[in-house]
Amino acid sequence: MKSKKLISVMIALCMLLSLGITGITATAFAADDPIVIGIISPNTGTLAAYGTGIVTGVQLAAEEINAAGGILGRQVELVITDDQGDPTECLNAFNSLVAKGVTLIIGSATSGCTSAITDAANEEEVCILCPTGTADSLTTEDDYIFRACYADSFQGAIAAAYAKQAGFEKVGVVYCAADVYSKGLFDSFSKACEEYGIEVAASQSTASLDVQDYTNQFAAMVSAGVDFVYAPYYYDVIGPYVVPQARAAGYTGIIMGADGYDTTPDYVVAGADLTVFNDVYWTNHYDPGADSEIVRSFVAAYEAAYGSIPSAFGATGYDCLYIYKAAMEAAGSADAGDVRDALADTSTVYECVTGTFSLDESGTPVKGAAIISFQSDGSAVTSTLVDVVTQLP
Amino acid sequence: MNTFFQTLIVGLRLGSIYALVALGYTMVYGIIRLINFAHGDFIMVGGYTMIFVMPLMLRLGLPAWLGVLAAIVVCALVGMGTELIAYRPVRRKGTNMTALITAIAMSLFLENLAQAIPAIGPNPKVSSQIFGNGGFKLGTVTMEYTTVITLVISGIVMLVLYAFTQRTRLGRAMRCVSEDKAAATLMGINVNSTILLTFGIGSGLAAIAALMYMAQYPKVYTTMGALLGLKAFVSAVLGGIGIIPGAMLGGIVIGLVESFTTSYISSSMADTFVFLILIVVLIIKPAGILGKNVGEKV
Repeated sequence: MKSKKLISVMIALCMLLSLGITGITATAFAADDPIVIGIISPNTGTLAAYGTGIVTGVQLAAEEINAAGGILGRQVELVITDDQGDPTECLNAFNSLVAKGVTLIIGSATSGCTSAITDAANEEEVCILCPTGTADSLTTEDDYIFRACYADSFQGAIAAAYAKQAGFEKVGVVYCAADVYSKGLFDSFSKACEEYGIEVAASQSTASLDVQDYTNQFAAMVSAGVDFVYAPYYYDVIGPYVVPQARAAGYTGIIMGADGYDTTPDYVVAGADLTVFNDVYWTNHYDPGADSEIVRSFVAAYEAAYGSIPSAFGATGYDCLYIYKAAMEAAGSADAGDVRDALADTSTVYECVTGTFSLDESGTPVKGAAIISFQSDGSAVTSTLVDVVTQLP
Repeated sequence: MNTFFQTLIVGLRLGSIYALVALGYTMVYGIIRLINFAHGDFIMVGGYTMIFVMPLMLRLGLPAWLGVLAAIVVCALVGMGTELIAYRPVRRKGTNMTALITAIAMSLFLENLAQAIPAIGPNPKVSSQIFGNGGFKLGTVTMEYTTVITLVISGIVMLVLYAFTQRTRLGRAMRCVSEDKAAATLMGINVNSTILLTFGIGSGLAAIAALMYMAQYPKVYTTMGALLGLKAFVSAVLGGIGIIPGAMLGGIVIGLVESFTTSYISSSMADTFVFLILIVVLIIKPAGILGKNVGEKV
């Protein structure tokens, strides 16, 4: 019943769209029209910090590009939509952008949301450049979906490689069985562990991302005797729930996570013993303290504009618009089909904040990951870069 | 054995929260036969009130938990406002079903309204530490004092509510209204103000539940009441909705089932078992564990 309704809505939208396209082509040749780029991100809801990061990053890039004369002599105009971190809302946002005639989209933040719009984007022949959706299944060959971040098969494997390098032979995993991101990282981590000869001695899951108690899961890690637990979750549970509860359950070893740990230090309980955050490691897209010209100038410009250090979401959002710019300039056009062809060229090298890379056949960057650790003296939590890994061992 | 104690403690911790929330559900249901789905969201209102008030308390050198007083006032006002603006007019014109739908609408309205208020906004907020750390050892596992306090508060609230409804004039008026509104009016009971009072007390309880919830799970977000409210509602039904000790019993049972499923069966099946148990109990004993089978009043 629901799918029937969805299909009829889609058909209605397609009809609207076909009307829209004929309307737009008449004016598309006017060179001074702005290039419209749509953003879909979770600007409200529990993952709002991600959306804010992406939107501010893209806005910063747009201001810079427009001040420097735009793309192909045309100004960039952004249309910001909100998916609330919800896949259904994401599809709604996508449809509203398509209805407005937007054919170049940056979004969404999470794999769960982005996977809800990939089919529709291919059908509508709309380009999607995903800033931080890391699930492997998002991008395939010959499609309209690209991304500015590495995929989970790489991200999970990096964590496994780190465990191996640190000398762990036995590890545990706590993950959410119902979330594309968490489950995807669990899969790639366990697969890599098998390759590296590491035993996954205990694996525990939670039924949803809304679970508030992780004590039993970590008690199981303690009884399995592991000192390295991979826990791919998002910051909103890592800060207040996962890490403090794991320590309270008697788990003292390393907790390792992925890019979802970004911004955790803003979500810890003030007044509680924050030394629990020592020995927490995570993989990220970039390190804001990196010693390179492009990162330094980006961080400085972002700080000047928004008064805070950009998260990886700000950085990848910023990169997304510059990748579109490079692709449009290579194609000499802002048409979705031409841009797609330019992005599909695997030989193009993009110099970005989150690394210098080219896109592989599926449209995923070939680049490294930063390994970051949390440190705390008890009153605040800070992040420190531990290592940058560019290739799997 | 350690796993057993650990699981027991987690179960009691979750259960104590569900019990406190369930008391609010059961109380309102007991009086006006309305499942107030917005009750979970009153907890969110209480949570945010404390998020804003607690820093002030700390600055004045007072303990953070005193913020609950402000939360009780705000929650009671919101609860009574809801009754006056939404439930009462609907009850006057419609049936029980329309009132139920209104409750669901109210729940979504509060969640989205909170998101639209700039000071609250979409980001989750994490509270500061409310009670000191600490607890006593059970085997090698620590039973936190916060959990004990929550259980004790639930117990006290249960007893006070029970005594209030049985012994006081107002409580007796509430029970009269729940049995027969028309007859209650004839007996000189002001039905509307009795119901309003019920909402005030029920929503005030939500503020206390919010305090204990935040003490153990310190994250506040606009949709926090949704799943919490649902589980508490299940607890109330399981114990026998409308029966005050039933809510407490149901809450603790649900918490224990959730925790033991996580530890001993499958960690991702916890919710499956919670709702499975509900179905099984309702098949065997449709009125809930403590419920008595009474024929539907016509």
